[in-house]
Amino acid sequence: MAEPRRYTTTRLQPEGTYQAPEQPVVPVRVPSGVDGVGTENLVINMGPQHPSTHGVLRLLIEVDGERIVAAEGSIGYLHRGIEKLSESRRYHQLGTLMDRSDYLSGIHTELAAAMATEQLAGIEVPEKALWLRSLMSEVTRISSHVVFYGTLGLDAGGMGQFLYAVRDREKLLDILDSVTGSRMMFNYVRPGGVLNDITPEDAAALRTFATEFPKYLQEYHDLLTGNEIFERRLRDVAVMDRATAIAYGASGPVLRGSGVAYDVRKERPYAAYDQLTFEVPVGTVGDSWDRYMVRMEELAISNDLILQCLDGMPEGDHMAKVPKVLRPPAGEAWAEVESPRGLLGVHLISDGSDVPARLHLRGPSLYNLQTMEDFLPGLFIADAVVGVGSLDIVLGEIDR
Amino acid sequence: LQPDVTALRKALASVAASAATIDEVPGLGVVVRTGPDAALEVLTALRDAGYTYLLSCFGIDTGEGVEAVYHVRSLSRDGDVRVRVSLPYGGTVRSAFHVYPGVLYPERELAEMFGLVLEGHPNPKRLLTTEDVPQPLLLKSSEVRHDADVHRREVTAVRERIEAAAAERAAAAPAPEADGEEA
Repeated sequence: MAEPRRYTTTRLQPEGTYQAPEQPVVPVRVPSGVDGVGTENLVINMGPQHPSTHGVLRLLIEVDGERIVAAEGSIGYLHRGIEKLSESRRYHQLGTLMDRSDYLSGIHTELAAAMATEQLAGIEVPEKALWLRSLMSEVTRISSHVVFYGTLGLDAGGMGQFLYAVRDREKLLDILDSVTGSRMMFNYVRPGGVLNDITPEDAAALRTFATEFPKYLQEYHDLLTGNEIFERRLRDVAVMDRATAIAYGASGPVLRGSGVAYDVRKERPYAAYDQLTFEVPVGTVGDSWDRYMVRMEELAISNDLILQCLDGMPEGDHMAKVPKVLRPPAGEAWAEVESPRGLLGVHLISDGSDVPARLHLRGPSLYNLQTMEDFLPGLFIADAVVGVGSLDIVLGEIDR
Repeated sequence: LQPDVTALRKALASVAASAATIDEVPGLGVVVRTGPDAALEVLTALRDAGYTYLLSCFGIDTGEGVEAVYHVRSLSRDGDVRVRVSLPYGGTVRSAFHVYPGVLYPERELAEMFGLVLEGHPNPKRLLTTEDVPQPLLLKSSEVRHDADVHRREVTAVRERIEAAAAERAAAAPAPEADGEEA
């Protein structure tokens, strides 16, 4: 039996013990394209355990070297059948399921389902509840957008900003916990109003946060926005023009980043948004940088809206009189809200019984994600990470 | 907020009047009902009339078949129209991808969840579930197992196993009373 060839180095041998190997050691050359060996495109999987796929997104990408030739999203790893389960839950129980669809902004999903139920059952919501809904929507919007800020920075190679984002998110989650009873799975917005009124202590804590937040926001901008590397990673990457964004059904900051000033809070005001004043930021180019900047602007606007809601909060009841078991007459309803990710709608069909006949959840992330198949080809793999990150998707709401 | 029905009729004039009916459904607004043959024509006419934004595409199990709903919106006039395409169970959907690219994923989900055949789609695969799912999940004929059912079924199975084992033991060993008599 031949001795296994040993790769020895003279450097580690003690003085005088070196013996030349009987056979010369010839390194085996790895065949490469340089040798005239043909190259071919590779199909590789990014995810579902890739650190920057924001949950369990799997991208199938065909690459030519570092360039993406074609991309396809493979989803469903978080499919729990929320639409099917809704057909066996009472109307009051829908909020629990809705929370688990978009787990970063539960208030908005609950709100859409509650609004659709109210339309079906003809429930009048008290004024105070409408204001509380707007207030908590904006609190959730900030807590969701700071996660986007932190994770987009991670995608682009930064680390520090994530810690700042989580620091401020914790303050909001504590307030949300105190008001709604839960940090993320709120079940706060119910058909007919909201679960709890906000206590004076919570209102004071929220006001303190809102007065301090511009300072934090400046820190965010100092950390990332002013960073030249970060800016160059985002500028002109994953460009989506107006027509493409509209054609693929993109909404929210993705649509506004492409220059379409469409915001459900403005176009079809719900809750108390018709009594609040705010602006809708839009981008010009439609690249990752525009989508980032739109969300950063929205942070300031949402903070301002929190103060407006706290100042304008009317007195009164926070819950209408609603029967314990809702049996809305047969019919259909559609309700839509502007979630942090975009247009979130619920199409609810009642057959007159105590459970919905059909609930369809129109999640903005699903439509925002599919634009990726349009803009990824031609990008580098590293830019794909930033491009998908700039869409701010939540897989729980894509897979439902 | 709702679009003018007469203007819609004019927009849909190219489609045969018998192929599409325009209704107003309370709570939803304008609904255009059509069959699978004229669906693409209706959608194309609507898109050309300014309804460029596709909000959602999903299915409904009506009990007699499947209804594919295309919810489109005009961003400039802010009006909504829903196109409802009646299909038989296991029917064929002609993809609207070349009219509204936004149906890229939702139509795949529609076909998968309601057991329809997707035709003319660039990537007519399943979207959310794997091939071993026994039946289309969102059809009413597909039942949800409640945790109570699952639990009850497991408890029953365990109990049956215990009882079967006890019966086996009883059959194998001689009866204790008989032992006593022999002693």
